[in-house]
Amino acid sequence: MNNGMWALYAREVKRFQKIWIDTIFNPIVSVGLYLAVFGVVTGGRDVATVPYLAFVYIGLLSMNLINASISNPAFALIISKNLGTIIDLQLAPIAPWRVGLAYALAALTRGIVTLGVAVLCTIWFIPLAGIAHPFLLIITILITGLEFGMLGVAFGMWAKGFEALTFLTTFILQPMIFLAGVFYPISALPHPWNIVSQFNPLHHNVNLIRYAATGFADGNPYTSIIVVGVLLFCVAIIMQVVVQKKLRSE
Amino acid sequence: MNPLSLRNVTKTYKTQGKPLITAVNDVSFTIEPGSIHGLLGPNGAGKSTLISMISGMQAPTSGSITLFDVDMVRNPEQAKGFLGVVPQEVVVEMAFTVQEVLYYFSGMYGVPKAQRQGRIDHALEDLQLSDKKDEKAKTLSGGMKRRLMIAKAMIHQPKFLILDEPTAGVDVALRQRIWDIVRRLHAEGTTILFTTHYLEEAEQLCDTITLMNHGAVIKEGKLKDIQKEFSQNSIHFELYDQNVPHPEGVHRTGSEFEFPMRSLAEDMEMLTKHYNSNLKAIRSEAASLESIFLTLTA
Ligand SMILES: Nc1ncnc2c1ncn2[C@@H]1O[C@H](COP(=O)(O)OP(=O)(O)OP(=O)(O)O)[C@@H](O)[C@H]1O
Ligand SMILES: [Mg+2]
Repeated sequence: MNNGMWALYAREVKRFQKIWIDTIFNPIVSVGLYLAVFGVVTGGRDVATVPYLAFVYIGLLSMNLINASISNPAFALIISKNLGTIIDLQLAPIAPWRVGLAYALAALTRGIVTLGVAVLCTIWFIPLAGIAHPFLLIITILITGLEFGMLGVAFGMWAKGFEALTFLTTFILQPMIFLAGVFYPISALPHPWNIVSQFNPLHHNVNLIRYAATGFADGNPYTSIIVVGVLLFCVAIIMQVVVQKKLRSE
Repeated sequence: MNPLSLRNVTKTYKTQGKPLITAVNDVSFTIEPGSIHGLLGPNGAGKSTLISMISGMQAPTSGSITLFDVDMVRNPEQAKGFLGVVPQEVVVEMAFTVQEVLYYFSGMYGVPKAQRQGRIDHALEDLQLSDKKDEKAKTLSGGMKRRLMIAKAMIHQPKFLILDEPTAGVDVALRQRIWDIVRRLHAEGTTILFTTHYLEEAEQLCDTITLMNHGAVIKEGKLKDIQKEFSQNSIHFELYDQNVPHPEGVHRTGSEFEFPMRSLAEDMEMLTKHYNSNLKAIRSEAASLESIFLTLTA
């Protein structure tokens, strides 16, 4: 029943279209504010071969992509559980993994729309000299959006309420983002945080996107490719297991 | 190929610190193609739990459920494709309009885009919601929300329609309308399973019934046969003054009173003794479903 999955995907895309103001302005404001601050404070400095502003810019965009992808399905599913409309997902003749995939793809779509809008509004202020590896950039953006979309699905299915989501974003996601080399290269971190950051899965997503965009890698890009690939696979399995369990028993 | 076949279906719930709850206990029955089947029983009998297992929302603790010979546990996606389900609890989307709800939900059942609008218009007309189609679903009245649930369940034209108390909280005229729709779908070949607490409705509509209590089936079969079985044992009587104390076992059905017969002579004597000149009329008749229900679940 592929058709069913795409209808569900279309429904979830429609859902965030309805709150387009939020979808569009949220990223512009957050990226814009960060950039203004960093631009003023660090104006003119470089990270290796890349201007700092370009370095942090790609980091911020990655952060936005990750945030949008994870919170879109998590929010939608937690609300749906609270309203009881999750029953639609239980009744429909769509395999649980496809249900999860539909939500994750919608999240990816939102992530990309968000990214596109943020880029369009801000790219003009950034000293970027073209894209180093365009094809790799597209692939890593797609994979990152999907990966965190699926994570958001698993989390939204698993979480009981919004407190859990707040916990996730404040206590897990935020620290991970700060240790992911979004704002500075992880090599600039004091010991042991530079080592810890190596084990932060988010770092590898950010690193790969930045490498593809600017050609500068904050750690071996091949390691990051492997880590991101393995992670995508693991997250897919986790999502499938959680969705299957939750849709068949609640 | 029966639309539904249940074999030894059991569902238990474990809650921490409480004894095991057996919501459905060893239930077996089949529903034949094209029939209207009533699933009846008092509050907490296990009807909704059984329905949620039949519709694949919960897995049974043990036993097997097949829909048109497709196993719901092993092959849920195919089995669910046969079904339209109106759940007991009314739930609505916050974000979407009535039309959008139906558009996407029918899509999730594989209705092609090109066919959706026609079906939506038809379903909304059927359930008298046409003028609400562009309103947010959450702004509908309670009865309208329930109608939307019914529209959702029938929009993909399922072979087997399950309705869990579709008429609860619905006004009289609309109840008639809902049952007219059910009758029409039945005439078109849809098999129907429904629950209701309005036993006159069940009596008018059903071919077969399953009566449940405490999770188990206590009576199952053709409504006519069950009524026949009880027909010799029911006495109906009318009173001038109805506000008097009644002997044990007597219950009210509309303007009449009814009780299971022991022996005609004995019962007549009891009645005349108890009610005296208050007695207006007496006859023995086929037991109403209500009285059978009360007798069996007492
Ligand atoms: N998720 C659950 N956890 C624990 N107990 C449950 C759960 N769902 C149902 N039950 C219990 O199972 C029994 C059957 O409930 P069910 O909802 O199936 O009854 P019902 O026949 O549909 O009643 P009603 O006519 O009131 O709708 C009840 O005792 C109920 O408390
Ligand atoms: Mg119920």
